[in-house]
Amino acid sequence: MAGSVERAKRGLYSEWRLHALSVVSLAVAFVCLGAALLVVVNIHALKERWGRTGRASVYLKDGAPPQQVEAILVALQATPEVREVRYLSPADARGQVLSGNMTDSTLKALPQEAFPASIEIDVQPEVKEADVQAMVAKLQSLPAVEGIETYGTWTERLGTLLSGGTLAAAALAAIVFGAVLAVVASTMRLALTRRRTEVEVLKLVGASDSFVRTPYVLEGTFQGALGSAAAIAILGALFALVRSRMDGDLGSLLGLDPMFLPWFVALGMVGVGALLGALGGALGLRRLTTV
Amino acid sequence: MPPARPHEIARASLLSADALGGGRFRPFLRAGSRDPLRGGGDAQKKPVLVFDGVQKVYRGHSGTDLHVLRGVDLTIERGEFVFVTGPSGAGKSTMLKLVYRAETVDDGRILFCGRDVARLTDDSIPFLRRNLGIVFQDFKIVPNWTVYENVSIALEVIGLSSRLLRQRVNVALERVGLAGRGGDRAGVLSGGEQQRVAIARAIVGEPAMVLADEPTGNLDPALALDILGLFEEIHAEGTTVLFATHDRTLLDVRPRRIIVLDEGRVTDVPAGLGAYADEGIEIDAEDFTEGYGDVRVSSVAAPIPMRARARRAG
Ligand SMILES: Nc1ncnc2c1ncn2[C@@H]1O[C@H](COP(=O)(O)OP(=O)(O)O)[C@@H](O)[C@H]1O
Ligand SMILES: [Mg+2]
Repeated sequence: MAGSVERAKRGLYSEWRLHALSVVSLAVAFVCLGAALLVVVNIHALKERWGRTGRASVYLKDGAPPQQVEAILVALQATPEVREVRYLSPADARGQVLSGNMTDSTLKALPQEAFPASIEIDVQPEVKEADVQAMVAKLQSLPAVEGIETYGTWTERLGTLLSGGTLAAAALAAIVFGAVLAVVASTMRLALTRRRTEVEVLKLVGASDSFVRTPYVLEGTFQGALGSAAAIAILGALFALVRSRMDGDLGSLLGLDPMFLPWFVALGMVGVGALLGALGGALGLRRLTTV
Repeated sequence: MPPARPHEIARASLLSADALGGGRFRPFLRAGSRDPLRGGGDAQKKPVLVFDGVQKVYRGHSGTDLHVLRGVDLTIERGEFVFVTGPSGAGKSTMLKLVYRAETVDDGRILFCGRDVARLTDDSIPFLRRNLGIVFQDFKIVPNWTVYENVSIALEVIGLSSRLLRQRVNVALERVGLAGRGGDRAGVLSGGEQQRVAIARAIVGEPAMVLADEPTGNLDPALALDILGLFEEIHAEGTTVLFATHDRTLLDVRPRRIIVLDEGRVTDVPAGLGAYADEGIEIDAEDFTEGYGDVRVSSVAAPIPMRARARRAG
């Protein structure tokens, strides 16, 4: 093993230009992948942020018995997911709508029935979208309830955006994987043609296949890891630059500061890079003749 | 049995006793042990190499099969120095390739140290080659490695301890006259020196046999004689040598056993071509030095048969 590391180092050193070139191409590929992941991560964070500040309006039927309404209020107050419950009478609702539009006479002319009574619910921030939906479904089946507005369109749109983004990132990842494999394998094949004599000599003095192969796989691993780590460093620098330019504008607009790739994603990228590099190194030797 | 030289004391044989019996070729790495082939016992009586009815055909794409060896029989004993000669394209390289399993026989057997080379599995081939030292016309050394690295690789593949490895590489370099040159980049050496590096690599593992395929082909005549002298020294120290060449000058240096290969068959000339001529064998042809330059053409001016088609008079 020590000998393999030694020979891998010798190989990297003697053909550093070739290897540097492939590390650069790998880094470019991984920057693309990382950027896509960054977008996905941030859309996801946005969805979490907005999806969780759940608010719902439960519109009540005209003439719903007050004791039923009261029962709903009590039940909701006892629900741990609910942060606050407020009853809004038709008069309250009318007042709320009109307060901002004092000059609008058409609105003023609307009858009291146009403003149904409702129960306004604020959901705890950490509650999941699915739990809110379950609660809504239960409320919907009550006889006093006319309909429910969950303001979920935003979350839905973000969800669509997220799945679209994830799909795009997955497609990009597939392309990057292919590119990385091709780059490492062709570098190795190039290095191999230039080192054909070396392989021939190894075979002649009775080196086993694994003895020949190991240094090349190590070189590939090193290249892959270095390329992806460089990509993360480049992305990090770009990210910091963009954020400093934004100066919090973006943050206040979205209600959330943009975030960088979490450490495990970054580490995973380096790991995948190393693995692909190793695979590329092995593939580059596929045509190794058994002289 | 040649007397033991000082460097032989530290010899670690690569050939296990197992290799002679069942199992596969396995390295045997006890420092200070002796090569069973040299050490006496049953192994000593066994020939190093036996060709037994060996046939080799190169299959052409369009049905143009080339029957290179048509039933070759020969036996090489331990400690022999044997030339293989014959016109270009006669199959000298092929014969050697069959021994180190770069090619496989189509029929017959090749016994190396009693083991049938043709029946080795692919996994065993490296073990076979660790018991052979191979030298080529084009040296086959790695130019961007140092002289030392080029030689030590033959011991690295068997995982020899670094102390023993250093000691043995230095001994080998000394034997080929490259003591102190270990740190030089192999690519900057002259042709003759590069071939010495290759020879050091071939002998550093103390193989059962050294195969040399036209090792002087790329060298000028004076250097060629130098390199031949080196092989003779190695032989004198107890190594079996099989030396393929078409260079008449080398064959005439000393009367030695010569195996003449032509048209797929061998003629064994135990006492060298000089004796062969004395026996009155008909000069059949021309030569096998055609196109190899003035030096060698003039050196074969002597009327000695080159194409020995086994037409022995009487
Ligand atoms: N791999 C191969 N495929 C087909 N023909 C071959 C191959 N190797 C050698 N030959 C042919 O076999 C014959 C013997 O070749 P070789 O053993 O190299 O001869 P020599 O070493 O005596 O010059 C030549 O005619 C050569 O062209
Ligand atoms: Mg040849």
